[in-house]
Amino acid sequence: MRAIWTVASKELVDLFRDRKTVVLGLLLGPLLMPGIILGTGALVESKVRTQLESTLVLPVAGAGRAPNLVAFLESRNIEVVEAPENTVVAVREQVAPVVLHIAPDYAARWRDSLPAPVELTYDSSLQDAQIPLQRVHQVLREYSATVASLRALQRGQSPLSSQAVQVAWRDVATPEARRGMLLTFLPYLLILFSFIGSAALVIDVTAGERERQSLEPLLATPAARTAIMSGKILAACLFGMLGLLLIVLAFKVSFQLAPGPLQLVDVSLPVAAQLLLVLLPMVLIGTTLLTLIAAGARSVKEAQSYLSVLMLLPIAPTLILMVNPVKNQLWQFSVPFLAQNQMLLKLIRGEVISPAEWAVYMLCGFALGLFLWLLAARLYHRESLGVSG
Amino acid sequence: MIHIDDLHKSFRTRGATVQAVRGVSFSARDGEILGLLGPNGAGKTTTLRMLYTLMAPEQGRVEVDGVDVQQHPTTVRQRLGVLPDARGIYKRLTARENIAYFGRLHDLDARTIDTRIAALADTLAMGDFLDRRAEGFSQGQRTKTAIARALVHNPRNVVLDEPTNGLDVMTTRRLRSFLRGLRDDGHCIVFSSHIMQEVAALCDRMVVMARGEVQAIGTPDTLRRQTGLDDLEDVFVRLAGLEESAA
Repeated sequence: MRAIWTVASKELVDLFRDRKTVVLGLLLGPLLMPGIILGTGALVESKVRTQLESTLVLPVAGAGRAPNLVAFLESRNIEVVEAPENTVVAVREQVAPVVLHIAPDYAARWRDSLPAPVELTYDSSLQDAQIPLQRVHQVLREYSATVASLRALQRGQSPLSSQAVQVAWRDVATPEARRGMLLTFLPYLLILFSFIGSAALVIDVTAGERERQSLEPLLATPAARTAIMSGKILAACLFGMLGLLLIVLAFKVSFQLAPGPLQLVDVSLPVAAQLLLVLLPMVLIGTTLLTLIAAGARSVKEAQSYLSVLMLLPIAPTLILMVNPVKNQLWQFSVPFLAQNQMLLKLIRGEVISPAEWAVYMLCGFALGLFLWLLAARLYHRESLGVSG
Repeated sequence: MIHIDDLHKSFRTRGATVQAVRGVSFSARDGEILGLLGPNGAGKTTTLRMLYTLMAPEQGRVEVDGVDVQQHPTTVRQRLGVLPDARGIYKRLTARENIAYFGRLHDLDARTIDTRIAALADTLAMGDFLDRRAEGFSQGQRTKTAIARALVHNPRNVVLDEPTNGLDVMTTRRLRSFLRGLRDDGHCIVFSSHIMQEVAALCDRMVVMARGEVQAIGTPDTLRRQTGLDDLEDVFVRLAGLEESAA
């Protein structure tokens, strides 16, 4: 036990004397994350506001066939302009987000009180076109409903008779959950940071020390190899948790400063503490896995080349859930990365995590950490570890 | 006391198997300095690595103070002070912190560590750089720090791999008198070198190694008589069989 602490404290002293690495490792995350939150928050906010409130320029083909409709559009803050020759190309090339085409038989069918055809051309794969499309669609429906009511009145019918069913919307999402939708990227960032946040340190204390040939004298001391390895893992975990603490604090501050609905995200101290608790098994898993890799790799370079693959792991559950959303089930709390994702989302959405979910989560997280630790310990006992050159 | 009996070790590199050590046997007594002499690649470092438990021999056994290295590696490591070929000083720690770190790993208490560091710094003349960070240390300062680190627990047996590599004359002389002092205190010292004069100046007995095998064991005088040569360098060249390979 004493050897573990001796090694851990030496590694931390050694690390903290490397000012630049520490500053980059500890402060880059906490500074970058708020930048992302505040930046994207502000960007989305201003984008939505401009698209909702500014005058929408709408190319209309055959505007002359429907002067009343054009006047109605213009009364709703939509500026009608001449449509380009080829509407499909214009939309594809993003000249206009949406183009309205008034059919040649519009006037004739209008006079016969038949549904008069208009066509909206848009590209559903363009995020940017969503708000303009909805605005135009909304105005068209409004116009249609208004004219329909007037026609019914003219014929002595109740305007309500054309409405057979009245649909009401009831959204059960809590305000926290609705905000949570804005924050789907947050779990990924937190998991990524806890998973490989202290990668530089972990790789350095095993593969780096081996490369600098200082592992040989260390392994010739009576301290058990497992203890030496555990000390190094402990140091990396402590450093990782310190980094995460700073990141969570930075989140708290930046949500308070963020514009719009993000401002309402309350990272209270109990929530912050639970976030850290959720990330603790991930830090252990990441550190032991990287120790395993570093002990097996021939050089620092080789160990580092695993990082690009590891960076993709935390995003896997998010991708799977995006393509195939599944209901919250207990087994999910046993799958690494998916479990962290679910736990973090629950915390951010302000939902209650049941004791059973906590138990399964913690048990499985630490079990995987222990398993990786055992594998790493096996590699640490290999003869080739201490021998360099 | 160190006893090595019929050690074998081979390495596999890209399909080819290299026999690094082939049946090496020798003993080093307490109160004796034993020199392990051989050209580069003779198997000295591999032999020493098996002695300080970093590698397991394929065949043969090593005993330190009568304790089997394979069966009780921890006990053996407590009784050994090791200066490996690679010094491996932590450059962001001071010399004192480097030494104290190993003291703690040897389970020494803080006061013992302080006393030992004071004593070692005095004998090795480390006063002027003891509390400086190792970054930018000269070769000699690094070696001194590594030696002090290897001896912080005052081990009965001392194993030094090429201790005088890269040291200037005065530092080498001081190191020699330091090692003689250890011998006179009854320590058992094994050190390796590829320089004949180095071994001759310091050792009571020498083991000449070449191509993974022991070629000769004895005092410098015995070896002179054995070969009928006067110059020690010639003795070494003859015993190590270097004439044939050079021709």
